[in-house]
Amino acid sequence: CASKFRQLQKSSDIQEKLAGALEYYDNEKYYKAATLLEEILPVLRGAEESEQVLFKLAYAYYYQKQYTLAGHYFNRFYETYTRSPLAEEALYMYAYSKYLESPRHSLDQSSTEEAIVVMQSFINKFPQSEKKEEASKIISELQKKLEKKYYEVAKQYYKLDRYKASMAAVDHFHKGFPDSKYNEELSFYKLKSAYNYATESFFAKKKERLDEAVKFYENFIDKYPESKYLKEAENLYGMILVELEEVNEQQVKINEYKAKQEKLKKEAEEKAEQEQSQEESTPETEEKESE
Amino acid sequence: SGNTQTDQNKIDYSNPKEYEIADIEVKGLETLNKSALISLSGLKVGDRIKLPGEKISSAIKKLWKHGIIGNVSINVDKVEDGKVWLVIELTERPRLTRINITGVSKSQQKELKEDVSLVRGRVLTDAIKKNTELAVKKYFVNKGFLNTKVVLTQEKDTLVANGVKVNVKVDKGHKVHINEIYFSGVEDLDESTLKRKMKKTKEKVRVRIFEDMARGLLSINSKELKTFFSESYEADWKQIKKYINDNVKLNFFNASKFVGKEYENDKDALIAFYNHKGYRDAAIVKDTVYLDKNENVIIDIEIYEGRKYFFRDIKWVGNFVYSDEQLDRVLGVEKGDVYDLELINKKLQFNPTDQDISGLYMDNGYLASRIEPVEVRVEGDSIDVEMRIYEGKQFTINNVVVRGNDRTNDHVIYRELRTRPGDLFSRNQIIRTQRELSQLGYFDPEQITPNVNPNMNDNTVEIEWDVVERPSDQIELSGGWGGSFGFIGTLGLTFNNFSLRNILNKEAWHPLPTGDGQKLSVRAQANGVQYQSYSMSFQEPWLGGKKPQSFSVSGTYSIQRGYNPTTARYDAGSLIMKGFSVGLGKRIKWPDDYFTLSHSISYYQYVLNEFVADYRLGFNNGISNNFSYNIALSRNSIDQPMYPRAGSQFTIGLTLTPPYSLFNDKDYASLDPEDRYNKVEFYKVLFDLKQYQKVVGNLVLEAKAHFGFIGNYKATTPIGPFERFVMGGSGLAGQSYIIGYDVISLRGYEDASILPRESDPKDPSNYIEGGTSFVKFGAELRYPLSLSPTATIYVLGFLEGGNNWANIKEFNTFDLYKSAGFGARIFMPAFGLIGIDWGYGFDTLPGRTSPSGSQFHFTIGQQFK
Repeated sequence: CASKFRQLQKSSDIQEKLAGALEYYDNEKYYKAATLLEEILPVLRGAEESEQVLFKLAYAYYYQKQYTLAGHYFNRFYETYTRSPLAEEALYMYAYSKYLESPRHSLDQSSTEEAIVVMQSFINKFPQSEKKEEASKIISELQKKLEKKYYEVAKQYYKLDRYKASMAAVDHFHKGFPDSKYNEELSFYKLKSAYNYATESFFAKKKERLDEAVKFYENFIDKYPESKYLKEAENLYGMILVELEEVNEQQVKINEYKAKQEKLKKEAEEKAEQEQSQEESTPETEEKESE
Repeated sequence: SGNTQTDQNKIDYSNPKEYEIADIEVKGLETLNKSALISLSGLKVGDRIKLPGEKISSAIKKLWKHGIIGNVSINVDKVEDGKVWLVIELTERPRLTRINITGVSKSQQKELKEDVSLVRGRVLTDAIKKNTELAVKKYFVNKGFLNTKVVLTQEKDTLVANGVKVNVKVDKGHKVHINEIYFSGVEDLDESTLKRKMKKTKEKVRVRIFEDMARGLLSINSKELKTFFSESYEADWKQIKKYINDNVKLNFFNASKFVGKEYENDKDALIAFYNHKGYRDAAIVKDTVYLDKNENVIIDIEIYEGRKYFFRDIKWVGNFVYSDEQLDRVLGVEKGDVYDLELINKKLQFNPTDQDISGLYMDNGYLASRIEPVEVRVEGDSIDVEMRIYEGKQFTINNVVVRGNDRTNDHVIYRELRTRPGDLFSRNQIIRTQRELSQLGYFDPEQITPNVNPNMNDNTVEIEWDVVERPSDQIELSGGWGGSFGFIGTLGLTFNNFSLRNILNKEAWHPLPTGDGQKLSVRAQANGVQYQSYSMSFQEPWLGGKKPQSFSVSGTYSIQRGYNPTTARYDAGSLIMKGFSVGLGKRIKWPDDYFTLSHSISYYQYVLNEFVADYRLGFNNGISNNFSYNIALSRNSIDQPMYPRAGSQFTIGLTLTPPYSLFNDKDYASLDPEDRYNKVEFYKVLFDLKQYQKVVGNLVLEAKAHFGFIGNYKATTPIGPFERFVMGGSGLAGQSYIIGYDVISLRGYEDASILPRESDPKDPSNYIEGGTSFVKFGAELRYPLSLSPTATIYVLGFLEGGNNWANIKEFNTFDLYKSAGFGARIFMPAFGLIGIDWGYGFDTLPGRTSPSGSQFHFTIGQQFK
């Protein structure tokens, strides 16, 4: 059998090669079918059979689970034979291959994003297709995956104690996925981050950042009045208030100290002035004394 | 076709109308299929099209796109009742079936075929033919064959209709070398320095000094002889250099071939060098390249040097964030310095070794800042420069993404990133992140790309890290010669990007669960019955995922059996070692953030059963328990793990066993060995230092020093037979075949040949082998042959010396066994590091009569000591 395959590979008779390839295809020997079809394709370009060859080649890769190549050929088919009755299937399979190629959420999601775009363009181009519903389902599944990915990323910043990054990442997530089920949890992380960020700040920045944390808390309870994090958030609010009080007390002390210093300075200045004015008046007396 | 004309006239070009296609005819077909072509055109019978309209031109474009046809036109045959008959007229192009390159070697043929990208089955166009000819010619010209002639002919291939064979006939001619380079107009600078600046345009090797002297001697007549002896004139250094340069050219490493492109680059380099020295107006007035009688190249270069310029006033314009003084300090150029624009640009834009102005801004969010030096006035030899700065706004990072990680999970990468949302943009953090990502070892360091996408509207920036994964797992399947053990086979597997939590997840096994950055290694080593060893270790670099603290566990089991000469079998007792260890390591930020502090606790048990070892342990029967705590502080600042060029690595470690003897009143010296060593006690100090320095280019010097000492808590408590030092040979990193020893390599001497003895206090005929203190120094010069990520190969030359003592009192850093030699290392990601060395030992080992002499060593894995 292997020798037959070799012979076909070496054969210069295109028709024989094609027939052999199709036989392998029908017998589900997709590796051999794909190898032969790939060799035939450039020579056949422009010939009648090439439409069929390209379509089968794409499927041969698809059945071998080589979704990158399958997607490539389905796409090429769709772009070359836009008018073919098989074009609808090719476009769907292009998107579907991308969908199957999409890896777990913690890896690069480029193919997920591509799959969404292609699926959407399939729905737009073939609104009557019976695959439409499935396509929409896949799109929403893929979107959920992206959502999960960026949720994990935002959460990790909090876990790593990188509070500023955590707040920025949560904001970015809210913008990208305004309806996400993760928004409540992430908002809570943002609140915690804001509190930690404020408490670890220099005194000069503390008040401003605590005020900000208060604002986040207020927004949080307004938006999620029934939140399961309510109790914890409220505790946090209490702690923020305590911190604020301390900051205020310290500020009062600082102000008092400053006022005192100011007063001392003023007194010293006044004294100096007095002495100066005395001095201005004394030289005569001194002169007198020295004389 | 007259008919066509009149019918066509019926179409009103100013007033497009819709027609239905009644029929499409194709003319000029030879091998192509009619209906396939029609379908490629996108036109279909029954379609309604506008005429004139873009459907027709787009159909022509579609047909052209495939490159299988020459001319194509779509004409209207006739128009009737709103229907139109179309004709596609085309000429087909021949297809390439075979390529035949003659006049070159087989390997060149192969390289060329890849180079010229002629795809069989493709349509052959004139452009492809011309490009092929040029590509082949260029290939040889770049190799120094300037006179290469390429003739391309085509002939019909009878095998395939419309097919052509292409014959490429190459006549390389002879390789052109550069005989001499002559300069004129060079006064202020040195000709030999200039020649050195021409990196790829080099003269041929020549040693004419003897010829010249001989000629001088032969032609001396009596008159000249007098001058020869009586007159001495002072030759300045420049003259001597010139004489040597004219007559001697030692140029063994650089090819002297002439390559036009390189020559042009080298001319630019010459001018750049002049500019660098303050000659701002320097130019090459004229240069001639011609052949001498031997058909070698001679180059004449006439240089206009111009005058040397100096900086006068440097003025900063547009700086609001930083003061003139701050900027001056970073620039470090003063009035009266040699005018060097290259230096200025380096200090303004990017200075790899020190601070630069742009970095001042770029590390503080000013992503859009620009600096441009402008010469505002030239007076005599003085130049005033104005530094025009546009500072722009501060940019904040709003989002960070990673792309291309198709195996490594996000969390493993994100925790290493120093570019974080919410922070100001910083160029320095980008550079550090790049370095740290490459040190993970999961990605190709050359392809880690930070894409910085600023948004000018809201002064935010998105940073996208593009990475390309590379295999990081290692398989070690090796056989080696292990001294008296004979042949030892090793099977080791190291997975550097393992995922423990997915170990039960079936879908994650392809072939192994990966992506969490954990390390798992398993290894087995054996030479049959005599020696077997199994070990396994697991490491999580970020325990808990919160802080970079590593957690590791490892376990090991080894057995060694003694050889019985009477039965000729390995049944003379055994030594079994089993143990495990648990460790915790932490990156620390003080004294700087290259430090790691690690702790570990380990327990090893040695079981001796009538065992007679190759190396004397001092007892044959009994159990020895070794429970110890280890603390180590290390610093690693090397720039790259495989071929370090800069930085250093050091570790200082302390291992402690509990001080049992302080709590019992045992008189150890009077105890039998099996009781004496039941609970081993000692402390051990180890110190290792390695430093890397670039000598020239990629030539790197590694300097290293190692020291170790084992001591006892109480003078009367003996140090056990285990954990002692054995020195000599390849040291086969981390895989001491001799159980319970710390093996230190010393090339130029046999494996484990430096092995002092300590006699038993109770029984003078009995003794323990192994040192309790050692020292070793070494220097190694390395030169890389390949630095590609698929294979790092380098050659090395070394000098080293070391010694190993049973008693610290004998310790003497001048009493060393010295050696020198050379070797090579090859690193491939799948196999790890493999090496071979030849060393010559200069000193005579105790009990021998001649120096150790010539020794070969094989090594596997990275050598630590």
